[in-house]
Amino acid sequence: MKSLKYIVLVAIIAFAASCDKALNTSGGVAEPGVIDGGGTGQGGSLARFTIAENHLYVVDDLKLHTYSLANPSAPQLKSTQTLGENIETIYAYKDKLFIGSQTAMYIYSIADASRPAKLGTASHVRACDPVVANDSVAYVTVRSGTNCGGAQNALFVYDIQHLLSPVEKNVVPVESPWGLGMAGNVLFVCNGTNGMSVYDITNRYQPKLKQKYYDDTYYDVIPYNDMLICMVEGGMLLYELKADGQIVKLAKISG
Amino acid sequence: MNRNNHTKSWLIVPLILFMSSCDPFGYNRPHVEPPIEVGEVEGWAPIYATEKVAGTIASIDAQPIVKGGKIYVKGNILYQVETGKGIHVINIADGNNPQKVKFIQVTGAQEMAVLGNNLYTNNVNDLVVLNISDYNNVQVLDRVSGVFHLVDGTVPPNAGYFECVDASKGVVVGWEPKTLYNPVCQKF
Repeated sequence: MKSLKYIVLVAIIAFAASCDKALNTSGGVAEPGVIDGGGTGQGGSLARFTIAENHLYVVDDLKLHTYSLANPSAPQLKSTQTLGENIETIYAYKDKLFIGSQTAMYIYSIADASRPAKLGTASHVRACDPVVANDSVAYVTVRSGTNCGGAQNALFVYDIQHLLSPVEKNVVPVESPWGLGMAGNVLFVCNGTNGMSVYDITNRYQPKLKQKYYDDTYYDVIPYNDMLICMVEGGMLLYELKADGQIVKLAKISG
Repeated sequence: MNRNNHTKSWLIVPLILFMSSCDPFGYNRPHVEPPIEVGEVEGWAPIYATEKVAGTIASIDAQPIVKGGKIYVKGNILYQVETGKGIHVINIADGNNPQKVKFIQVTGAQEMAVLGNNLYTNNVNDLVVLNISDYNNVQVLDRVSGVFHLVDGTVPPNAGYFECVDASKGVVVGWEPKTLYNPVCQKF
């Protein structure tokens, strides 16, 4: 599953200034009912589609397909490249793509957006593994189980300051991690039936568990401006996302 | 003639014995495939559609979220894929009171992204571009076939157990996670 952002007001501002991906859609609260006509939106960390640098990137089981959106109404296939087996997720951050497979995280440069180029790989145990990342850190969750293989359930923390050689900095045991989302100094990790864990990541490489929420069965999460959107069993759950990283339940969308 | 009849009569005896004594159709026989019964496990089930609706894309009235899939947000609009069936469009301008707007029927849908007023999704294994400037009148702008392979008609996306495909139910346009009991089919 795959992507995201937000938190302390200062961090929000710093983040908005530095991150050209998630916050380029609606800077503030738009008028109700008015559809934002420009830019791209934000997907979850489990996504196989992502748009960055005016290109649409699609991962299927084996390959990365790159379409130019120079004419957004008529995508042009620019390249297809074989990645490996059991590819599951793609996450874009600035001019990088982070691709999750059942055995590794791959980092690709999209400096040349129509021809992604492989930079680094971080292999891990066989498992399902969405990724989120920024300039210095990548968080990968691995979940074992009959659909994923493996026997480990954990949050892997990689130092990616050297993109060619990610360094594993930490492995945090987690019950049953699915998707995850990062916003400023807070990391949200969906834990299926075991709730949603919220980590303080002020120290990027040492996530500190702050709180757990058990409102639902959580599969994926998107921090989006002042809202936290969760994919839960049978629908979605909306939270208000406060400047200090606290969340307040607003509504469930289901049925 | 008489001899033939006698032979046939004789055959009835073992037949009766077979039918009455040894559960000839295996109803009570322990399953031997898979060799180890796995009990209740996390697995996959096929999502079926008829050939006729497979290529149909249309904006219809809001639908119930049955098994909400992947999520996407842009501005005040939140989308949730109904895996294999389409995309729920929800207005979240008021987070306390989200409103379903429309449902975009896209057979096989599993993934999506939006740029401007264009929505990109998969109609089974075709990339389709939809103009969403008017949710009441969603238009197909383009279709690119034969590139990615998101949906396999015979096996689920990941290794694991799955509900075996039953062709009499239609064509497989997607897969959904499902709790299975002693599944027979398995992808390695």
